[in-house]
Amino acid sequence: MNLSDIEVDSVTKRFGDIVAVDSVSINVARGELFGLLGPNGAGKSTLTKMLCGIMSPTSGAIKVGGYNIHKNPMKVKELLGVVPQDIVLYDYLNARENLAFFGKLYGLSGDKLRNRTEELLKITQLDEKAVKRHISTYSGGMKRRVNIAVALLHEPQVMLLDEPTVGLDPKNKLALWKIIKTLHKEGKTIVLTTHMMDEAEELCNQVAIMDKGNIIALGNPRQLIKKVKMENTITVVPTKITPKLMEVVKKVSGVKKSYKAYDENEKIETLKIITERAEDILPDIVSGISSVGIKILSVELSRVTLEDVFILLTGRSLTEEEEQS
Amino acid sequence: MKPKRTIHQVFAIAKTDFLGITRNRTAIFFTLLFPLFFLIIIGFTFGSQSTGETSRIHAGIVNLDEKMVDVNGTVSQNNTIGDAFVQALKDTNFTVYEYGAYGDKDSNGTAAYDISRGQIKIAIVIPENFTEALSFQYIDSLGMPIPTKIKLDLYTDPSDPTGSIIAQQSILGFISGFIKHYQEIAINQLPESFQDYAEVLANPVTISTSEADVSGRQLRWIDYLVPGTLGLVLLWSGLNHASVAIAGERTKGTFQRMVIAPVSPITVLAGKVISCLAIVYLSAIIMLATGILLFQANLYWNIPAIVLSIFLGALSSIGIGLIISSLAKNVEAADAITVLISVPLQFFIGAFFPLSIMPEPAQIFGEALPFTKLVYAMQDIMTKNLPFEAVIPEILYMSISGVILFTLGIITYRLSLKRL
Repeated sequence: MNLSDIEVDSVTKRFGDIVAVDSVSINVARGELFGLLGPNGAGKSTLTKMLCGIMSPTSGAIKVGGYNIHKNPMKVKELLGVVPQDIVLYDYLNARENLAFFGKLYGLSGDKLRNRTEELLKITQLDEKAVKRHISTYSGGMKRRVNIAVALLHEPQVMLLDEPTVGLDPKNKLALWKIIKTLHKEGKTIVLTTHMMDEAEELCNQVAIMDKGNIIALGNPRQLIKKVKMENTITVVPTKITPKLMEVVKKVSGVKKSYKAYDENEKIETLKIITERAEDILPDIVSGISSVGIKILSVELSRVTLEDVFILLTGRSLTEEEEQS
Repeated sequence: MKPKRTIHQVFAIAKTDFLGITRNRTAIFFTLLFPLFFLIIIGFTFGSQSTGETSRIHAGIVNLDEKMVDVNGTVSQNNTIGDAFVQALKDTNFTVYEYGAYGDKDSNGTAAYDISRGQIKIAIVIPENFTEALSFQYIDSLGMPIPTKIKLDLYTDPSDPTGSIIAQQSILGFISGFIKHYQEIAINQLPESFQDYAEVLANPVTISTSEADVSGRQLRWIDYLVPGTLGLVLLWSGLNHASVAIAGERTKGTFQRMVIAPVSPITVLAGKVISCLAIVYLSAIIMLATGILLFQANLYWNIPAIVLSIFLGALSSIGIGLIISSLAKNVEAADAITVLISVPLQFFIGAFFPLSIMPEPAQIFGEALPFTKLVYAMQDIMTKNLPFEAVIPEILYMSISGVILFTLGIITYRLSLKRL
């Protein structure tokens, strides 16, 4: 039997009439890298706050490392390492001083604190000059690495990473993924909250997709993709995306779903078309787009992603959700 | 919870909070140096003056005594006593401006013109027959002197009632002294047997006024001002810092990170309160050192009473600060609320101006503030050298208000934890 490090049992959180988390149940096994996915407002942050113990559920129970979070809050806090979404460090302290301060909060002192601080400074890959500078002078990537190091001070068994790569450039994002993979290899149980499906696919061996306070899909990313029985996605980059264009594409026979998406790496708007027979319908798509006087800059056939799974389950894209929120 | 670990946590939080002030220039200015700024400005402006200083009173004098007048059918021009009056006024250290005429507000170079421009607060007009009347030059057909009263006209500035009242009272005091001197000369002219009667008739009651000995030495304004500025320390260093202490951490997210760690919210609060107290005491030391080194303030030292009074006063300011910090949505809102409260309050605590010159509702409001009680206690101990027993009423008032406000602060703080 797999030992569970996190057990969320029928947890609900209400704010007045609004149900932010609706009877959610999750089990995260020891050593698992678990992804909590969903758009803004899906309930991820509320669930994360309840897992940290800074918010109480309206009903249901949460256990971390076998301890009930409300009966043994201090014990749970010692087991948990939390990396908040925002950079939560003291700007006027340097990296070493920040680590020393938070280390003291976790009960470290003397040589133990000094040794652990130096160990973690190595992980942050900051040179001695940078270590002595105030955090306010650091780049986004440097701050993120120190932000993670703080959560590792007390060598926690369970880690909650809340959108740890938000706002990072691709190079720093990859560097952070490497750190997360290393932690996973070391046997830590990790819950990764993200709205970036590629990140979840790359890192997680289990994911839960949340929408409007509910878990709408739960399982291994590959299995989830297989479940939706789709073969591929056509990604078109036209000169512009108009409502008329969307209408034409939607009417092409064999198109299961089509939507606008934003490519964060290329910083361009794309048109995604989900279909079971991409090669067959591609000529019709191209001629349809041409018929409304719009040029095509590029066309790409790709495999189904977790984002496509989300769209299939909810009828909406993550990008649309973020624009609305 | 292990006590040793909790103590380490409290002091780690206090130290980090304290560094947040000392490593931030804006925070240093508003938390530690802003009260000092007031002390320096006011100390340099008024600090060296004693309570009887008159040079700040600007008086205008229109001496018409030098003009020619008709006395007993002949033209007389005698201005001896008028000139003596002007000289005495100058010798009494008023700042005196002389004019040829009272004039009107539109005639440049006249006393009325300068009153309307605030150049002088009061104008005295000496009549043309001042010397002739006071030296009994008016005589009847038998050659006997005709008693002739003279009238001095005083004009004050209605746009500055407080300044005018002070100037008027000072000038009336001077005139009273001048008349007394004149009476002595006149009585000495009488036959010796009448002099004692005349003396009693002229001065049936004599008044002796002198400053009471409240401290055993001559006091200057700065000796009152420096202990009074400790009330400002509570407002600017105590209230100001306490109000942003929790709100600032909440806005940055560090508060959430602290309570995610195995740290109880009360431990966080204890660290913050220790840091606030350290800042209040540091600011108090800076103020007192500046008062002594820069303005040579002459103070008495009852260290335990001073430390205790500041502590009790600080409980109130930290309590109010905690309430603001817990209720404010973010640090900017907390900052704005604090400025709205502390800027007007500093004028009601009796640090700069005595409450007695204020309207009655303002006096009642000022007297109710715990910061005013600290100002009174500090002036009693450090300026007047009164024993501790003399400030027990203030100590009790600050203790009660401190406990109430601090408890309210803790309650609001605990309620705010639900908003994390």
